[in-house]
Amino acid sequence: MTPLPDTLLESVAAAAVREGLVDAVFTRLRTPIGTLLVVQGEHGVARVAFPEEREDHVLAEVAAHFGPRIVASERELSPTRDTLDAYFAGEGDPHALPVDLSLVSAPFRRAVLDTLHDEVGRGEVVTYGSLARLAGNPRAFRAAATACARNPIPILVPCHRVLPSSGGIGDYGGGVERKRALLELEGSLSSR
Amino acid sequence: MSRSKDVTLPPFWTLVERHGDELLAHARRLAGDQHAEDVLQDALLRGLRAYPRLRHGDHLRAWLYRVTTTAAIDLHRGRRRELPTAEVPTAATHDTYDEGAFEALIAPLPDGARAALRLRFVDDLDYEGIADRLGISAVAARQRVSTAVRTLRERAAA
Repeated sequence: MTPLPDTLLESVAAAAVREGLVDAVFTRLRTPIGTLLVVQGEHGVARVAFPEEREDHVLAEVAAHFGPRIVASERELSPTRDTLDAYFAGEGDPHALPVDLSLVSAPFRRAVLDTLHDEVGRGEVVTYGSLARLAGNPRAFRAAATACARNPIPILVPCHRVLPSSGGIGDYGGGVERKRALLELEGSLSSR
Repeated sequence: MSRSKDVTLPPFWTLVERHGDELLAHARRLAGDQHAEDVLQDALLRGLRAYPRLRHGDHLRAWLYRVTTTAAIDLHRGRRRELPTAEVPTAATHDTYDEGAFEALIAPLPDGARAALRLRFVDDLDYEGIADRLGISAVAARQRVSTAVRTLRERAAA
């Protein structure tokens, strides 16, 4: 059986986006820290998943929230891909990309991630405590840690820049090795 | 934003990546090499338009086969004369499939051929399953489906 040509799928995706038939678009992006699944809705990137997460689960989660009309397209997401490629090549901050945190339902957790996205740039780091304070509740550092642990948009919402006040590098949803790699990439941590 | 409240449908592209190759082969059988990709592209867009209105998420592969069949028929009609595009069958259910263009398409065929096509493309059975239901061998089932598809294709090209 002849496999489906990529060009056909790209044309379908492009026509579907033009016609407003799409709830979300996803792409698979190869990076130095593994192939990332990037899912973007109408208002911005809503989900970034590391390769350890099952792709069908991630897409089903997005479908349950945004709707089932989910298509793949490299071309439709090329601005997002280019920005992330540049980031992994050591240039700039993917900060400029709009994000959509509507997969986060708890209001304080969403406030934490919003704050982190808006206020903690490349090369900066914060502690969970100071992040909680920035988000408006200094005592809620545990909630801040939970927000980071369940961050649906790692890298773009930079939980890798949040460190424990006790020192060390702390945990990371994508694994401590990836957190270290991202901090080294940003010059916040010297290479070993 | 089309949120399906009662129905859990898989992400559309999961279906495309799972069944796309065989749908292209189906389009090729119905419309020939030259038009197969146009037919499938049209079918996937029709599928996307109808997808949020599906009443449940069963038989989705058979539904996509049916949408592809309809797209092939419409492409053929459109090439002969300008006609308003037939409405896509949106029901994925077995009990309402006869509202769609599929029944109209297979209507001219003999009973046995129609039964085999329904079992293949509506009930989504493999040839073993069709053989079982019709009380014939799997080889005979495959033969019957392929003869029926060939007949449809010849009629469409006539």
